[in-house]
Amino acid sequence: MKLIKKILRTIKSDRLLLAGCIGICILLFIVVAAPLITEYDAKLFGPDALVAPGDPAHPLGTNHLGQDIWSMLIYGTRTSLMVAVVASFISALLGIIIGGIAGFFGGWADRIISELINVFLMIPTLFLVLLIVAMFGSSILNIMIVIGLTSWPSNAKLMRAQALSLRERTFVKSAQAMGENRRQILMKYIIPNGVFPVVANTTVGMANAILLEASLSFLGLGDPTVISWGQMVYDGKQYLTSAWWIAAFGGVAICLTLLIFYMTGDGLNHVLNPKHGKAGE
Amino acid sequence: MSETVLSIDNLCVTYKNRQKKVYAVKNASFSIEKGDAVGIVGESGSGKSTLAMALLRLLPARTAEVTGKADFLGRDLLTVDDKALADLRWKELSVVFQKAMSSFSPVHRIGEQIEDIYRVHTPNAQKGEAKERAVELLKLVNLGDRVWRLYPHELSGGMLQRVAIAMSLLFNPRLLIMDEATTALDVVTQGQLLNEIKHMEETLDMTRIMITHDMSVVAASCNKVVVMYAGDIVEVGPVKKVLKTPAHPYTQGLLGSFPSLKGETHALRAIPGSIPDLSQQYNECIFAPRCPHATEACRKARPEPVQVGEGWSSRCVLCGGGKA
Amino acid sequence: MTKYVIKRLFSGLITIFLVFVINFILIHIAPGDPVSVMMGKDNNDPELRAALMAKYGLDQPLYVQFYRQLTTTIRGDLGDSYIYSRPVVDMIAEKIGPTLLLVFPSALIALIIGAAMGILSARHEGSVIDVIFSGLTYILNAMPSFWLGLMLIILFATRLNLLPSSGMIDVRAGYTGFRYILDVLRHLALPLGTLVLINIPYYYRIAKSSVLQVTNEEFITTFRATGMSERKIFNKYVFKNAILPVVTVFGITMAFLISGVTLIETVFAWPGTGRLTLTAINQRDYTVLMGMYLVVSVMVALTMIVVDIVYALLDPRIRY
Repeated sequence: MKLIKKILRTIKSDRLLLAGCIGICILLFIVVAAPLITEYDAKLFGPDALVAPGDPAHPLGTNHLGQDIWSMLIYGTRTSLMVAVVASFISALLGIIIGGIAGFFGGWADRIISELINVFLMIPTLFLVLLIVAMFGSSILNIMIVIGLTSWPSNAKLMRAQALSLRERTFVKSAQAMGENRRQILMKYIIPNGVFPVVANTTVGMANAILLEASLSFLGLGDPTVISWGQMVYDGKQYLTSAWWIAAFGGVAICLTLLIFYMTGDGLNHVLNPKHGKAGE
Repeated sequence: MSETVLSIDNLCVTYKNRQKKVYAVKNASFSIEKGDAVGIVGESGSGKSTLAMALLRLLPARTAEVTGKADFLGRDLLTVDDKALADLRWKELSVVFQKAMSSFSPVHRIGEQIEDIYRVHTPNAQKGEAKERAVELLKLVNLGDRVWRLYPHELSGGMLQRVAIAMSLLFNPRLLIMDEATTALDVVTQGQLLNEIKHMEETLDMTRIMITHDMSVVAASCNKVVVMYAGDIVEVGPVKKVLKTPAHPYTQGLLGSFPSLKGETHALRAIPGSIPDLSQQYNECIFAPRCPHATEACRKARPEPVQVGEGWSSRCVLCGGGKA
Repeated sequence: MTKYVIKRLFSGLITIFLVFVINFILIHIAPGDPVSVMMGKDNNDPELRAALMAKYGLDQPLYVQFYRQLTTTIRGDLGDSYIYSRPVVDMIAEKIGPTLLLVFPSALIALIIGAAMGILSARHEGSVIDVIFSGLTYILNAMPSFWLGLMLIILFATRLNLLPSSGMIDVRAGYTGFRYILDVLRHLALPLGTLVLINIPYYYRIAKSSVLQVTNEEFITTFRATGMSERKIFNKYVFKNAILPVVTVFGITMAFLISGVTLIETVFAWPGTGRLTLTAINQRDYTVLMGMYLVVSVMVALTMIVVDIVYALLDPRIRY
């Protein structure tokens, strides 16, 4: 109870974090309550194609196949959040392990991994993801895994810095003196204590994953069996002059979701490094 | 006949933000005569740097409120208008800050920075004039003219601090403020610099304020001392006398020993307790909670400065009878 | 300085080598054997198969294959596109002009506008302008570039009918000379504008925070104490110190831009490498895709090297 109260107080102390958390709650609600707040199945090809927004039956209109745009937006949330969570989980896991090893063990391992991280941070992920998805098939599972496998370097960089400073701390030194082996120290002390910046970064990672999936869909590399916002924009491109709403609303949904994740991330960073708001001496 | 260069009267600095106020400097009053070298000592957070920044008008107007008077050569530093202030700055009143490393722009050559500063007050200077003057001053602090072409990172901390001192003397200011100017240096360099400064003073007829937390710096280079504690000036007096027989218990503590009641002297590394919370206003002697001699009287009201000797006063009720 | 440049060049080479290794690994772990990956789907010409086998030594041990591929790549041979039966290098070379025409101007314009906005915000922190700029860039930052492009088309091409929505020239008009340039500029407006808008937030953020940081540096206080005018302090001393992080961000942003431009070219049917990529995706023309990946990473590495050198020229602390 005390912990929950403390978390709530922290969230309330930062406006961005508060807004972000409320936004995430709304997104989660949409994911869970999708069937309750939509009238049609998003995959249902209705009889009315290209209905303009404002129609009593379809408030946001329908697309060229008669699918209800509102339902597609709502069900698309599931896809986007799934991609976000799975991809950023893989990426965080890899980043924590790789960065933790580099920072904690140091020496050659660190030098090689650091150089690798820098190189990976430099080369554009989009092309690599695109290449792999084109080769291995564009199922949503593939997409999520590939995004996860290619986005770990920023997490690894953060974790490495954490591990570097943590291994000089007294409690790690004393664990070493107590004879715990290096793997135990890494797992028991370094990773649990250094993981917070990675968590804050993960919100940004989630936003990037959503954006990458949408970009892939827009290039025609999306999974055709799921409803996705990127795909809506892709479909809408053909009907831009006659039915602007198909492309427009999908993009709005992406934009709002990214805003929510960015606000949460920035808020978490403010709370984790409280450099602001202190009176000078 | 001595001439008063700076006379500070009831100067207060209060930092304020939305949540709270911090009383950083309270009712500071003292004066500096021509040729004086005044040391302002205190722990970090005692308000000594804030006081200097207030005199230089470098505190952010939005968060810092400054009241009182600071008469400098007939003009009140705290209220003089921007143009007159710009004219006073560096020509009459200059400063050397603690961290020489960060006192210069890292991406401009030292010569370029000095030249720019020189031109602030002599916009029509001939080419080479600034350099000539600077080289002359650099020689005073034992640096060659090579420095002119270098970037700050190419010099050591001690050398940069010398450059900063030379730069502060560009216009022969009437008053020089050195804010922890020797603190970041090693002991040997610090000693050398202090000697150089004293030597310069003899040639340049300079008045100086030396802000430091180190009594030995004051002892080595000043003739007058102002002791600050938690925003209060607790003691002002001639260095030799204050060092020998400090009047205020805090000064005694700072000097490293409390004369105990039995007359023995205990060496102490630190004064027990910690600096009080400055966001509160106190109606007692601010040092009372940490003072070994504190009595009922100390907790009743904030003591006023008490005359101890000539040009020597202490903000302590116990000094009233002339003995601590 | 020379030592520094060599070090930068070396890490650029490592980057390109790593991309090559990734390509090599992908060919070998992709579904189907390497030959079919290079030949493309539904292609089973035994002659071509034999030729590819011989060229890359695909019946030899792995390290021989690696060596053969590395040497052919270094010679500038990125293989042939199976659809067009043409060298990938030639195909990319003829399409890269229009892409660069989008990438570099948009990066520069975004840098100038974004940095100017950031500086303005920092100088008037907390003012109405600051709040508006911050909000605007925050929202822009969350917009998918391709979607923003489409929306600009709806607004400026469909609704207002002001600007052309696709292509690089008006094919029917057949302009020449000055009219031709004007026509290209008109076609450039929307894709360029989209890229500029998408990139502004990065520069805005870094410019604002670095100006704020430099303004709090002690040397600025020193200059104030000398009576130097605020304008001079800012124009000379704050500016040069604050611009350094912006230069770094320029390099990083270029990396995103060079790959992100594919999406924008798709939106505006811009005849650059993005179109090439898109066709290659649709036809599963892997040689072209891998070639593009390599070329893009070479471009990124080159940009990084140039940016690092510029940085070193601005910041004397790096020259050793």
